[in-house]
Amino acid sequence: MPDIGGYSLRFALVIALLGFGSAIYAGAQRRSEWTRVAERSVWVVFAFVSVAMIALFYALATFDFQLLYVARHSARSMDLHYRLAALWGGQAGSLLLWLWMLMAYGVASVWFNRTKNRTLMPWVVAVVLANALFFLVLVTLVTEPFERLQPGDTLSDGDGLNPLLQHPVMMIHPIVLYIGLVGFVIPFAFAFAALVTGELDTNWFRTTRRWTLFPWLFLSIGIMLGGRWAYEVLGWGGYWAWDPVENASFMPWLPATAFLHSVMIQEKRNMLKTWNLLLIGLTYTLCLFGTFLTRSGIVQSVHAFAQSPIFTSIFLGYVLFSAVVFFSAVALRRKEIRSPNRIESVVSREAGFLLNNWVFISLLVWIFTGTLFPVVSEIFQGEQITVGPAFFPIMAGPLALFLLFLTGVGPLIAWRRASLASVTKQFRWPAIVGLITSLVVWYALGEGAAYYPIMCWGLGAFSVGTIVQEYALAIRARVRKGEENVLQAFSALLRKNQQRYGGYIVHLGAVLIIAGMAGSVFDEERLENIRTGDEFEIGGYRLQYLTATALPMQHYGGAVARLALYRGEKPLGVMTPEKRMYWLEQQPASIPSIYSTLRDDLYITLTAIEADGSATFKVYRNPMVNWIWIGGCVFVLGSLAVMWPHPDRSRAPKVG
Amino acid sequence: MTKGVQIAIGATAIAGLIGWYGATNLDAAPSFTYYKSLEEFQANPGARSGARSRVHGYVAANSIRRDIEAMQVHFRVQNTAPHTGSESGPPLEVVLVSLETPDLFKDGAEVVVEGHLVAGSGGPVFEADKILAKCPSKFEATPTDSAES
Repeated sequence: MPDIGGYSLRFALVIALLGFGSAIYAGAQRRSEWTRVAERSVWVVFAFVSVAMIALFYALATFDFQLLYVARHSARSMDLHYRLAALWGGQAGSLLLWLWMLMAYGVASVWFNRTKNRTLMPWVVAVVLANALFFLVLVTLVTEPFERLQPGDTLSDGDGLNPLLQHPVMMIHPIVLYIGLVGFVIPFAFAFAALVTGELDTNWFRTTRRWTLFPWLFLSIGIMLGGRWAYEVLGWGGYWAWDPVENASFMPWLPATAFLHSVMIQEKRNMLKTWNLLLIGLTYTLCLFGTFLTRSGIVQSVHAFAQSPIFTSIFLGYVLFSAVVFFSAVALRRKEIRSPNRIESVVSREAGFLLNNWVFISLLVWIFTGTLFPVVSEIFQGEQITVGPAFFPIMAGPLALFLLFLTGVGPLIAWRRASLASVTKQFRWPAIVGLITSLVVWYALGEGAAYYPIMCWGLGAFSVGTIVQEYALAIRARVRKGEENVLQAFSALLRKNQQRYGGYIVHLGAVLIIAGMAGSVFDEERLENIRTGDEFEIGGYRLQYLTATALPMQHYGGAVARLALYRGEKPLGVMTPEKRMYWLEQQPASIPSIYSTLRDDLYITLTAIEADGSATFKVYRNPMVNWIWIGGCVFVLGSLAVMWPHPDRSRAPKVG
Repeated sequence: MTKGVQIAIGATAIAGLIGWYGATNLDAAPSFTYYKSLEEFQANPGARSGARSRVHGYVAANSIRRDIEAMQVHFRVQNTAPHTGSESGPPLEVVLVSLETPDLFKDGAEVVVEGHLVAGSGGPVFEADKILAKCPSKFEATPTDSAES
């Protein structure tokens, strides 16, 4: 079975090469029969790569420890679902997963465009296969997932998977993240095809918008799942540490989000064409670059993969090559894509969207600088200087406030030129709501008042105010016409203008997330060393240490501490932080215990049971963390509302 | 004044404000930290006098002492992993001003300690307020690692 996997990857490499050739020929000579050939080769490559995936799954499921990959990343003691998830627990396997997803996207784009965008398709296929060729070369020549151990070294058991990854969220997190990162290849390919063919009118980006929304949604979910996993498993009390690997997944999200906004200006006003192409190029380049960062380990990170220099240089070459080709194509076509329209007034929706784009890009520049600072300082100064996690919020905080403001203003203000009267009329109530909220927060915080939450929650309330007002006005108008009740009107709005009203829900989610994060200003943490029976207090909670007992033996052992939790005299339950030891991997892990409410989370980890019998706990009180996850759910629902294929809309005339 | 100029002025004003904000706040955050191996750190006295550094090394065998009364952990860091048996230079005395040690912190662990050098009673001591420990295999063992294990 492993042989089948290895061979099918080699076949896939040959077919991809032939398919790439026919795609280029079809594009250059405008031979549509060759386009079909190239498209079929996408199907064939997909089939061969799928066989390789199945072969690796099979090897993991059947304990085939002759394979280096299986021996390194699984063990007999692991449950079947975690053994299968080990496919993306290591380097070679996750490259294979990336390749498979790339081909799945390729097949989908070929299928959905079988009767449209015919002149673009050869170039789309060429881009997909060029990317596939790179990954095929990696998995057949550089890091082979089907590499065998020497016959003498065959093992009876494997090394197992990092226990921290043996968590339900971690089974799906990499897949979700990859669906996001890899998916941007399709908008990238369409943009490139439009550049090569010179068909830079409206077709490519209408097609591209939907293909961007889909991976963008998955990337958003992936980032949030990563935060959730860190919070539940890593036990340091937070969800985001500005680690290079986290930044690597967040950086492409920024230009992608900017694109989804600015593409609307192109749609309505035929402006910013070049800018949109650049954003798409930047997004995909950052997806590849982020993968490179994670894989190469050039930046110190808790969870980067250690790598060989050959791999690093090949991957960096690939990232640079694809960026150079794309951006030179934009440069060569720059005269043709110059937009005929200009911004007419600074007080207009165009200007609002443009500002929004600048904010996203500034955020990107800041995060990029911080992430690569050690590398750059090493090159120029000969000394590695790292910037701590405190570096990033310096700018991210104020920019988030600015975004909250734009979230409220942008969608309401008129296109072209807004009059003072209309601005006053539209923003009167939301502005009042925002101001009152700020004042209430200021008053409620009393001595502990800090500017950030006052501004943040005030602006958040302002944004939510605009959203509620938009819905209320539109629903009232529909209900007054008769025949519809409030709920029917609500769903009609989402159906008839899903981009706008779905977008508002996405904004609502984003506001909740940012508001929840602002709660971190009031985070409290304590380190306590206590004996059984002792108590301590934190932020209105009282904890009493009851006992510590040994964990029942499984593939891990260790201790669990029990603490009674009270608010005042009211008992809230028992907290059970664990200190685990995974025998096989010889790796300890602290699993936190979390008491979670809408107001705050009480988060406790067992740091150590000391030699003298006392126990050391790290306790955090994290206000409003739950609003981040709630906001995340709202965000996802809103995105689904934007993307939902309504039958009456999809029957719109097909173009091309 | 054309719209282009208006926008340019607006953009410059915003960029200036943001830049000013960023620049003034950078000092406030203890952000910039030198990252050095223990050898580099010991070889460069300039960076030793109180500057905040991150120093990379390995926990010396049997050197960890948890002082629960004072809520501190004492240990030594050396520049090679103890179990390899290779020659190691003079170790660095480290005191972590917390009992909060990471899960992977133990004898021989690869660590990065963050803090600064202070004068102690028995010579200079590296006072760390942060410590990171690395899993020896990380997510992916390097080929040499697995040959040993």
